[in-house]
Amino acid sequence: MLRKYRLQLITLAVLAVLFIMAIQGMSAKDGLTIVIRGLSVGAVTFLVASGLSLIFGLMDVLNLAHGTLFMLGAYAGWTIYVRPDTVVDLIPPLALLLVGLVLMPLWPVLLGRLGRMPAAVWGWLGLAMAGVLLLISLPSIPIAAWSARDYAQSPVSYAIMLSQGQLQFPPAEATGPLSPAVALGGVLLAGLVLGGSLTVLSQRHRGMRVRGQATPPQSPPKGRRISLSHWERVGVRATAAGLLLLAGLLVLALNDNLTAWLLGLGTNWLFGLALIGGTLTAAALGGLMEMTLIRPLYDRPIYQLMMTLGLAVVGHELVVALWGRPEFTMPKPALFNGVGDGCPAESWAAWLELHCSTILVLGGRIRVYNEIFLIIVGLVVLVAVSLLLQRSRLGMIIRAGVQDSDMVEALGINVRRVFTLVFALGAGLAGLGGVLAAPSIGLSPLMGESVLLMALIALAIGGLTSFPGAAVGSVLVGLMEQFIIKYGQIGIPLPFLEEPFKPSPTLVPASTVLLMVIILLAMPQGLFGRTE
Amino acid sequence: MSLSAATSSPRTRRWQPYLAPLGLFIGLAALPFVVALLSGQSPAGVLANEAGSAKFIQGLLIEIMILAIVALSYDLVLGITGLLSFGHALFFAAGAYLTGVLLKSFGWSLGATLGLVLVSAVLQALLFGVVLPRVKGITFALVTLGLSEVFYIVVQSRELGQYTGADVGLQGVPPPDFLNPTSHRLTFYLVTLIFTFAVYLFYRLFVDSPTGRVCVAIRENENRALMLGYNTFYFKLVVLVIAAITANLAGTLHALYQPVISPNIASLNAMVDILLMTLIGGLGTLTGAPIGAAIFRLLTFFLDRWFGESASFMLGVVYVALVLFVPYGIVGTWQRRGFHLAAGRRWLLGLLTGRGDG
Amino acid sequence: MTNLLEIHNIHTFIGQFHILEAVSLAVPQGSITALLGRNGAGKTTTLKSILGLTPPSEGQIYFEDQPIHGYRSFEIAALGIGFVPEHRAIFRDLSVAENLRIAERRKGDLRRKEEFIFSLFPDLKRLIHLPGTNLSGGQQQMLAIARALVPDNKLLLIDEPSEGLAPVIIEHMMAAIRQLSQEKTVLLVEQNFIVASQLAERYVIIEEGRSVKQGLMADLVDDPATIRRYLGAA
Repeated sequence: MLRKYRLQLITLAVLAVLFIMAIQGMSAKDGLTIVIRGLSVGAVTFLVASGLSLIFGLMDVLNLAHGTLFMLGAYAGWTIYVRPDTVVDLIPPLALLLVGLVLMPLWPVLLGRLGRMPAAVWGWLGLAMAGVLLLISLPSIPIAAWSARDYAQSPVSYAIMLSQGQLQFPPAEATGPLSPAVALGGVLLAGLVLGGSLTVLSQRHRGMRVRGQATPPQSPPKGRRISLSHWERVGVRATAAGLLLLAGLLVLALNDNLTAWLLGLGTNWLFGLALIGGTLTAAALGGLMEMTLIRPLYDRPIYQLMMTLGLAVVGHELVVALWGRPEFTMPKPALFNGVGDGCPAESWAAWLELHCSTILVLGGRIRVYNEIFLIIVGLVVLVAVSLLLQRSRLGMIIRAGVQDSDMVEALGINVRRVFTLVFALGAGLAGLGGVLAAPSIGLSPLMGESVLLMALIALAIGGLTSFPGAAVGSVLVGLMEQFIIKYGQIGIPLPFLEEPFKPSPTLVPASTVLLMVIILLAMPQGLFGRTE
Repeated sequence: MSLSAATSSPRTRRWQPYLAPLGLFIGLAALPFVVALLSGQSPAGVLANEAGSAKFIQGLLIEIMILAIVALSYDLVLGITGLLSFGHALFFAAGAYLTGVLLKSFGWSLGATLGLVLVSAVLQALLFGVVLPRVKGITFALVTLGLSEVFYIVVQSRELGQYTGADVGLQGVPPPDFLNPTSHRLTFYLVTLIFTFAVYLFYRLFVDSPTGRVCVAIRENENRALMLGYNTFYFKLVVLVIAAITANLAGTLHALYQPVISPNIASLNAMVDILLMTLIGGLGTLTGAPIGAAIFRLLTFFLDRWFGESASFMLGVVYVALVLFVPYGIVGTWQRRGFHLAAGRRWLLGLLTGRGDG
Repeated sequence: MTNLLEIHNIHTFIGQFHILEAVSLAVPQGSITALLGRNGAGKTTTLKSILGLTPPSEGQIYFEDQPIHGYRSFEIAALGIGFVPEHRAIFRDLSVAENLRIAERRKGDLRRKEEFIFSLFPDLKRLIHLPGTNLSGGQQQMLAIARALVPDNKLLLIDEPSEGLAPVIIEHMMAAIRQLSQEKTVLLVEQNFIVASQLAERYVIIEEGRSVKQGLMADLVDDPATIRRYLGAA
């Protein structure tokens, strides 16, 4: 046992010695602040790294677009939090579009009547048609939006307005020539066409896992389909589609009332909604990404990596196009933003009363949101995902699939759906991390790349496929970062240098990369990685 | 992946692969004069460095060739040897920055600068090589990506600001007089042209050499190469050194040619651009790299013109579509399919009737 | 006797390699059929092709007279085909109980079959909470077979059950397979001809990706020339 883990133990011991060396000579206050801040950075990193490790473990996909999903989650959360009117305007078209996708299982039945699945090219044509329909219809739907170009209407201004408590929304405007009703009809039609073409394309892609063979794999014989209770499923889907349609129209009718109600909720509830919304947005995008862009590439790992790298760039550009390049803030919810008499809070009891933004612990000021709330959420996620992995059937399938996904499929389990689910789950965690991090680090199109780098380093340190490794690695990276920042202020006395060396904040990521390279040199599999 | 770069041609046709590049070389050397004639300029004007479309074309081709050298060196690493490195932008950027800093802040001569660039290139390759025996595949990609990010960050840090120009970029690098791209555009153009073709021919020879074949074998199946008794580490190291030297020298050309060296050439985006060029042409083909570089440069040129701010977004979409639908690139697909007319017609028919290759 | 499984002339590629170049066979209901042949003849690929893990590019596969070629593996397996892969491929990070539970296709599958499984492999009951990686080779093989017995499978595809096991354990394994074959049809890949000849009633010989001979095991045992030709010395 000891011998097996000798390298791990030595490394951990070295890290512990380094930690003690780094923290000695500091006051308890400074030490505590650094550790808590390190844990807080670690918590956010962990939310991204955990999803990355789940996805990599099960599917062998290193999702370089994960930081982008984090960022998209943050921006989506910001939008819900600061501009609920825009979100309310967006719900009807989105719901109508989804109707078509929910009805997807209907298509094989309809197309089955044709006797043969149409050629793939019809799928692509349908896809193009849906795109054109959306391009025509969407501008004609009134949506109250911000503008990335006009400063008074820019996200920056709205963020400032919210923090000053004087939010004012512009009226919803449509730029297109169509009447809104026709435009909404167009979106509904686009959704239906989209569903149809996706069905055609996915049917054509059956058996894509086999590569480079002389003849393509066969499509399944027509006639009786294996899947049971087909009509039953269709019935459920049709009901769901009907409800979606109804909900969309309801939101359309109650637009202004809904916006007013949302604003009346107050920042705490809105923040909760932003958390949910950001998580769901990222999860949906992640799932969609897996189904359409990653899935065809499972037998070409290098191309998959290139794909996610490209998607990271596309997502980054998307954020720049929609929200603009300048950095802006997301004001903290009232629960964590109290100021004035009695703040910083001296005790937890006082905090519960006043909701101060900071609290005094050991004489040091601790920011409640950044340094306590974030850590708690990180811990909750750690426990929840561990429970999911160890106790649930899905977790069992994931753990089995990490080892041999073909065998899991041979047991009669739809592994592809599990892949999509896990991808969505990982993306959702990243999105949650994004919304959580936004109030403390602000929003900028660069946040994705920097968090991805941190998470990758954490993952490489912890072992690429290990979930506990992701947690340990994240905390290590967070602590490392905070120590370097602290030493940037007090300086490191180095031999041969007269003045103590003061690393500037820009050098922080460099130090974490160095940590990664050193640990990987000692242990190529990372701290908790499996040795092959 | 059986790619023709790997297969050797019969002895009699040994020089044939070099004929087409030679023709292209002569054509490109004559191109500025041809363009001058077509646009009503006199060829003497080209020699006298007159402004005009001939000068513009030279500029564009210089940029393309610099990119082509980088793409070639990356193709050697990823396409030929199968080393998944995401830190290739580091080689290029380090060459550019080192040249710029030595020429500008230290006033070194070009010769001395080149010498140090070569030494630093070997050191960079060794830096990548240190981790090589320990980490494989995706972890190697991660480590190299991390190393190049460190460079990206350090170059922008305040401490080095007086040398590197921090996030603004390094400006005002003084090129030596005889190689000044503004006043001696044609000389610069011809030097770049000669260097590009020298690199290409050297790579071709290398890939066809016994060493190069071992590299291809490493890509196909490293364990088999190991079992055949090759110490694959040395081969991979040699490839890294060659690629690092070429990419660093491309960086030197970049530093001499461009008025500003932006830190972005070390960023993740730059890495995606390098990948994109290699992919457009076709991974592991060598010939594909310059073609990819040319298409890439023209693509960015026109996308900038058509889409303005969303050009990078469109470029990303193009990249994603390429990965998904044309994974072997132009040259790779050409070699695989042969693009015969009859086959093309069958393919089109199959597409419409649903009997195609799904 | 009707055929539970019929394969007509399937071709399978793995990468560029043409692994199966015309395999046809029939597995009658209620029998044990042995798939014989040299190393690399394509026996394992045949099993994987039935399950769609390496989908055939040509030919037809019928299970209970329904075509199943071209469907996804999980759809095929859900029709009632259990797979016991070679090299005792259980899930090593899962406990014995989890290894069995993951095979459930409906809730309560395991509870219904528990008694039967533990009567076949009493060891497993004792080891139920151990992680799979702590099991001995024989125990892992038993678990792999038990896993395929959890859902209501009609056909079991068993790949090399005797590989690398001690003779005593092989005896135990053979007894178990014989007993479970009273309820299930079995297609067995087996290198060890003695084991195969004692278990199976029928045989199919595959050579270089083709099915070359099939018939009653009793006839094959009396035909040393055929055995020598296709299976080497035996």
